[in-house]
Amino acid sequence: MLKRNKLTPYLYLLPAFAFLLLVYIPIFQNIWDSLYEWSTFSPDKVFVGIDNYVHLFKDPVFYQALKNNILYAVISIIFQVGGGLIVAAVLEDKLIRKFSPFFRTVYFLPVVVSMTVIALLFTFFYNPEVGLLNQVLKMIGLDSLAKPWLGDSNTAIYAVIAVSQWQSIGYIAMLYVVAIQKISPELYEAAEIDGANKFKMFFHITVPQTKEMTFVAVILTLTGAFTVFNEPYILTGGGPGTSSEVLSTYLYKTAFSKDMMGYASSIATVILIITLLISLVQMKAFKTGKEDA
Amino acid sequence: MKKTNLILASLLSCSLMLGGCAGKQTSSDSDTGKTTLTFFHRWPKEPEKSYFEEVVKEFEKQHPDIDIKTEAVLNDSYKDKIKVMTGTNTPPDVYFSWSDEFARQFVRGNKALDLTSYYKKDSAWSSKLVQSQIKPYTVNKKIYGVPVTMDGKMFFYNKDIFDKLGLKAPTNWNELLNVLSVLKKKHYTALEFGSQDTWTISHYVGTLNQRMVKPDVLSKDYNSKTGTFTDKGYVKALEKLEELVPYFNKNTNSIDHEYARQQFSNGKAAMFYAETAEIKLFGPTKFKIGMFNFPKVEDGKGNATNLTGSPEGFMISSKTKHPKEAMEFLEFLTSKQMGEKLVKEVGKYSAVNDTANSSNSTPEQLEAVDNILQAKEMAPWFDMAIDARIADTYLTGAQLMLNGDKTPKEVMKDVQKVAASVRAESKK
Repeated sequence: MLKRNKLTPYLYLLPAFAFLLLVYIPIFQNIWDSLYEWSTFSPDKVFVGIDNYVHLFKDPVFYQALKNNILYAVISIIFQVGGGLIVAAVLEDKLIRKFSPFFRTVYFLPVVVSMTVIALLFTFFYNPEVGLLNQVLKMIGLDSLAKPWLGDSNTAIYAVIAVSQWQSIGYIAMLYVVAIQKISPELYEAAEIDGANKFKMFFHITVPQTKEMTFVAVILTLTGAFTVFNEPYILTGGGPGTSSEVLSTYLYKTAFSKDMMGYASSIATVILIITLLISLVQMKAFKTGKEDA
Repeated sequence: MKKTNLILASLLSCSLMLGGCAGKQTSSDSDTGKTTLTFFHRWPKEPEKSYFEEVVKEFEKQHPDIDIKTEAVLNDSYKDKIKVMTGTNTPPDVYFSWSDEFARQFVRGNKALDLTSYYKKDSAWSSKLVQSQIKPYTVNKKIYGVPVTMDGKMFFYNKDIFDKLGLKAPTNWNELLNVLSVLKKKHYTALEFGSQDTWTISHYVGTLNQRMVKPDVLSKDYNSKTGTFTDKGYVKALEKLEELVPYFNKNTNSIDHEYARQQFSNGKAAMFYAETAEIKLFGPTKFKIGMFNFPKVEDGKGNATNLTGSPEGFMISSKTKHPKEAMEFLEFLTSKQMGEKLVKEVGKYSAVNDTANSSNSTPEQLEAVDNILQAKEMAPWFDMAIDARIADTYLTGAQLMLNGDKTPKEVMKDVQKVAASVRAESKK
């Protein structure tokens, strides 16, 4: 008995060790690797110091990818966080609440569908000749707007970003639904008595009362936007050219297609630093917001 | 999904540390006394999947002491995964490899077994292979691979449309442009092309480079140690590709090759540049199919008659514990019987002599095989012939050129830049 009791606390620590082994060690290994020039074929690694980073900061494709990630982040915050809040507020409105479960399902459904299936679906949707999008545009007389969405370097990245918005808005909206349900109904009742309209209630009650959730949602979408991989990889593969490349697809290509492992590691480190900064901001923000909790 | 991406950075090193996260490679199972070979190929889809399963089963039946474990992943993932797997301590014993530069990288990295002695020892087997298909697996006069299939890229055309308009298969570039413009005037989609995946562009670029650039310049440039890509022929080759743009279907960059193939076999386009191995995939068409080699280009300084196409085959890991058994398996795979089975069931052409005949192939397929055998020289697939870093820049640039976002000169300038850094690196 005694023996088991001694062992138990260590058993509880096991997952932590596994975590250490599988997450933190590779992260440091990666930073270390980024100081070398090597490929899976090279017999040995060559130490090059910060050469990979110097090269990286001169690489136009890197800036293109970074720009696309920032674009992803900005659009995602506007549509997923802003849009999600609006959708949630509408669904939780007294008038619609009766049908809310139905609409919630509708909005949430895309979240559970696998990205591969969604990408396939949208490949058809965007097909310039037989795709639904162009067909609809032609039907309503907007022929001039019909485009080869995924094949045009100017629209490819937006077409990809749009798919992510379509998929994820439901998830953020659900988070907001939970947050809105926690708001005391008396606030709305009091506002109604004072003669406030729906817009005023939204901006003066819903928005400030869901501030905490907004932090969470912003961090979620931000880190998501800087680590996004599946959507651009499956829909366009980063093309045409490098117009829809994002950091993670560029990392993947550099490592496994071009076999420049050291260089890829340096891209990975940049992604790590960006996401780390975002989480630092998150931690900071949560501390200041604590008085509400 | 977001969480998976969050640790993408760590995944990279993780996959390397854990040895590609792939299945375990066992060597010899002492309990049963059986030898286990691991076999890695790139066809998890039909019809190849069943073909290889049946070959393995048949081989195991004939060699009860050998057990073969198969693993397969698709095309692009294969390119990535095999590089990681051969880098580990337990690489697959027998693995698929494209030829030329793709095969050479394994040789340079010391990952491939020298098979020359096996070729010499068993000449009854090796003499039956189509000899021209062995060369792409040969480095410094040593043979490192066994070709299993052979393939060539040709223009396929809808004979019904051609007959109706009184057109003939063109033999040179001007005639080709003529044919295309007639087709366009008659409101046909003259030439179907899907360039969403850049390898399809690489087949055009590779062939055009062969036609436009002197062979010795070409071989100097395709070598990553000496490549400069400064010859004017490269720009001209891209300009030739640009000349075709008005005759392609619209929006080539948002259409993939499979969709393009479908359009052609449904009779919606008059011509299609495709691999001979695709004939079976055209399916039964309502029209007759004709074919001709990429025409010669009048002002080209290169080889005017080369046929573009490479064999596909297998290599044996230099780390294998059972080279003899692995070789036995590859010889079995390239026996006449298995070759005939390949042609019949998969529709690809075996690199074994006399395996395509009227009982297992259509007249079009026989014509295609004949074209490959007749070809005096084969030109490798471009993206397999040059360094992957150069290929990537070259082809993404060409993709932008097809959209009108870049000029041929700009594309080549980028290529020259990458070639310079690859050159510098290989000298280290």
